[in-house]
Amino acid sequence: MNIRRARAEDLPGMQACNLRNLPENYTMKYYLYHCATWPSISYIAEDKGRIVGYILAKMEEETAEGEPPHGHVTSISVLRSYRRLGIAKKLMLRSQESMATIYRASHVSLHVRKSNRAALSLYRDTLGFEVRDIEQKYYADGEDAYAMRLTLEHD
Amino acid sequence: MSKRGTTPNRFLPPKESSLFKELLSLYETKQLKKGLKTADQILKKYPEHGETLCMKGLVLVHMGRREEGIELVRKGIRMDLASHIVWHVFGLIQKGEKKYEDALKSYTQALRFDKIGQENMNLLRDVAQLQTQLRLYDGLVETRYMLLRLRPTARQNWIALAVAYHLSGNLAEAKKVLVEYEKTLKNVPHYDVEHSEMLLYHVRVLEELEQHSEALALLDVSAKDRAIVDKTAIMEVRARLLSKLKSDEAEHAWKVLVEHNPECYDYYKGYMSNQGLNIDENPAEALAILREFSTQFPKANVPRRLSLSLASGEEFQALAEPYVLSALKKGIPSLFVDVKSLYTDPAKLKSFEDIAESIRKDTSPDTSVASSSVSTEPTTYLWSLYFLAQHYSYLSQYAKALELLDLALAHTPTLPELYTCRARTLKRAGDFHGASRAMEDARLLDGQDRFLNTKSAKYRMRAGLIDEASALLGLFTKKDASSPGADLEEMQSLFYLLEEGDAHRRAGRLNLALKKYAAVQRVFDDYEDDQYDFHGYSLRKFTVNIYLNVLDWEDHLRSHPSYIKAALAASRIYVDIFDDPKLASGNVDGDATDAEKKAKKKAKKAQKEKEDAAKKAAAAAPTTSTNEDKGLDVPYKDDDPDGMKLLSTPEPLELAWKLLQPLTTLAQNNIEVLIAIYDVAIRRRKYLQAAQALARARALDSEYPDLHVRIVHARHFVSILPEPIPPPVGPIFIETLGKILSEDVSLETYNSQFLQNHPTSAQTILAAAQTSRVLGAPLQEVEDLIFTTLRDEVQLDVKTALEISSFLKKIKSSRVNELHQALDAKFTLSTAFKTPDELAKLREWVLTTNSNSSSERTGNGAAPMENEAELGKEAGESV
Repeated sequence: MNIRRARAEDLPGMQACNLRNLPENYTMKYYLYHCATWPSISYIAEDKGRIVGYILAKMEEETAEGEPPHGHVTSISVLRSYRRLGIAKKLMLRSQESMATIYRASHVSLHVRKSNRAALSLYRDTLGFEVRDIEQKYYADGEDAYAMRLTLEHD
Repeated sequence: MSKRGTTPNRFLPPKESSLFKELLSLYETKQLKKGLKTADQILKKYPEHGETLCMKGLVLVHMGRREEGIELVRKGIRMDLASHIVWHVFGLIQKGEKKYEDALKSYTQALRFDKIGQENMNLLRDVAQLQTQLRLYDGLVETRYMLLRLRPTARQNWIALAVAYHLSGNLAEAKKVLVEYEKTLKNVPHYDVEHSEMLLYHVRVLEELEQHSEALALLDVSAKDRAIVDKTAIMEVRARLLSKLKSDEAEHAWKVLVEHNPECYDYYKGYMSNQGLNIDENPAEALAILREFSTQFPKANVPRRLSLSLASGEEFQALAEPYVLSALKKGIPSLFVDVKSLYTDPAKLKSFEDIAESIRKDTSPDTSVASSSVSTEPTTYLWSLYFLAQHYSYLSQYAKALELLDLALAHTPTLPELYTCRARTLKRAGDFHGASRAMEDARLLDGQDRFLNTKSAKYRMRAGLIDEASALLGLFTKKDASSPGADLEEMQSLFYLLEEGDAHRRAGRLNLALKKYAAVQRVFDDYEDDQYDFHGYSLRKFTVNIYLNVLDWEDHLRSHPSYIKAALAASRIYVDIFDDPKLASGNVDGDATDAEKKAKKKAKKAQKEKEDAAKKAAAAAPTTSTNEDKGLDVPYKDDDPDGMKLLSTPEPLELAWKLLQPLTTLAQNNIEVLIAIYDVAIRRRKYLQAAQALARARALDSEYPDLHVRIVHARHFVSILPEPIPPPVGPIFIETLGKILSEDVSLETYNSQFLQNHPTSAQTILAAAQTSRVLGAPLQEVEDLIFTTLRDEVQLDVKTALEISSFLKKIKSSRVNELHQALDAKFTLSTAFKTPDELAKLREWVLTTNSNSSSERTGNGAAPMENEAELGKEAGESV
């Protein structure tokens, strides 16, 4: 296992991993956009060259006047066969650290399907996120999302 | 108006002139409806005003009325050939058609006519993007230089010029530009991410120039000033530079990185190579270092796993035991995949087997608690069974693997991994139907998990159940997509496209297979086009470091395994069509059953309905009532829904070559690629290409069976040419061939020698039979040779057996059924060689069991039990 920052050549592997794991998928251009805009906050986990987990992150662009910048997790997932290794947590911590030091992010936000208990428990119990809000019909199929956030520490 | 005569028809009176300016600004803001109206106002009085015609055409294309719009643009150009606007418009249209070379020509033309230079900035920026897309870096430097001269106050123009120099290979100039740029800067705020990126880029240029001290100095001062804000990047570059400078501080710098992220392999590697440690030569010292790191970061996996690669003998045993035990205790499902790569060392393989067997024994419920030395956790026992099942499955001991899985399932029937392992084991044994059923069992245990869903769909495709696979995939694809496959294609799922293409190919539906492979090709074309916007965007954002990485990735895009797979599979079909054009006109349904034919008819009808609906929609669309901007990119139109056009192409070899051509530089060390290149090149009479591919392949693996066939093919091909290949090509070709295989050796002798060298290899026998066929041996002789693969002493697996079967079909042998019967008897578990009737029943069996709930699943074990009994026999023979 190797955890490091995502590079351009990792993008197809991230896309493939996402398509295998999650119902929310994106075309390559969206991955490229993340990578070209915020090149240091997305991370991957690889096993002998194969991408088995990733976090695709961005900084929120539409923040209100005076509001401090904050990060947002667009997508995070780990292949089922690579669970229980703490990969998601390690990816998340790396990304958070970069958001905080490079962009001075005050917190990081993410959305999760209301029905996705496994993910909810990961974010809340393992990673310390809190539910801030419920966004009605956030997903294309009409499902609601929990809007979660985690405050970041600064030195 | 007659006065204007032959002079360009560009003059407009003040009223229309201001309307034209309005038109331009309406276009800029994409107010298409208003723009169209304004254009019409001008054209009412001046119907031949070229620039207005072009602008109207451009607006129409944006509105989705492409053909009509392009017609107007062409007319407009004819009316005013010396206008920069008409050429600019034309360039935009061509860019939308992805004709980058043509677009660049139009832009160059536009620049020639733009005397006043108002448009210059926009034009030049577009030219720069096109030049980058086309990798015309010398031209790019000129363009970027002009842009900087026009507007030196724009910061990005400096960076853009530096990057252009960098790309053109002139690092020294890139550095100069950066230094000059930094002189112009005043009051850069702290924590400016853009400035930080620029400084990191500067450091990188210095590093590439091998001015390491200077690079380090800039890095350190920028880090201290907090001008570079990316801590990780600072630490990484610093450690690398210190190592290159052979500084005493380097060791500490690498250590800091390991502390920063103990799960990053590169940092350990950097630490060791800085110490001058070559992992292969000084394993003992490297191990000592890793031991220290392991103590320091007890939770980190990398140092412990790396140690397993380096250690051997007792030391390995001592490290492997706790490694395996802790993973089994935690129930880490990836343990086997994690250590599998160590199996190339037979001693390590044996160690893992012994360790896992001993843990299994110690934790088994049958063992009394008192004797248990490690753990009494019941899950440890379960995971040890899972590990061992994967282990024996990998070693082709299928019966043993399945036996262990039965034990595990009796213990815990709700763990999906046990079913996925059973599925993989059955698949390896050739029981594609049992495998599919097992994978569906796994999926049914967790219907919310897309990972299991994808796996089950894949296994259905492997069993030839394509529609049924699609139904599963549809549980996770967008509901408003026209089909699950359409959504997956839009989302660029290479996995899906390849699996379904292969499934169609195996079923003989070459048209649909080609269709999927072409879709893979298109995904890569889209990946390539995706970079276009970033040639501007990344420079505006100052994220140049990642941008250079993106360009490099794009340059090697098609070395991706999925592209290579699709290119190989499609080019093989094209070569087959060239050799036997009847394939394209004959029964394209291949081995389709009636049900499949019916399904296909239905699909065709649905497709037609869809197309009709689309046509209707398209007919309704071109109204001017909407402002919707459809952009300039040509939308993808599928005018060949079932791939018949691909299959019946008059130039199969040209299509094949188009796929393979990028691989001539990107996959030079892939022997399969080289062989495919030979096959296409020799048929296209590109003799030097063909010879070069053979020579390269031979250097990689001179005994490769498929290569053997080609070497003989090449010699034979030349010998039957009615006239020798003319110089200079002919003699070079002959000479190259002569170096590969001396002209004195008869091809028949060469072939029988090859066979004698590897008499028990089924692959060799197949290659020898194929070679005999090339040399015109009688069918019966070839068949007899093929049937020797059934002998007990020959090592034959299901995969090769399937290849042998396709070869017999290809040469139209009447003994295919006989072969299948024999293979079916040999591979008792496999369903690959069943008769069509048996297969139909198997398909039904797979699907009827699928709908069962978990309680029924156990009751339905009769069929697999039988299989297992047979499996036992097979394994007994082969082990």
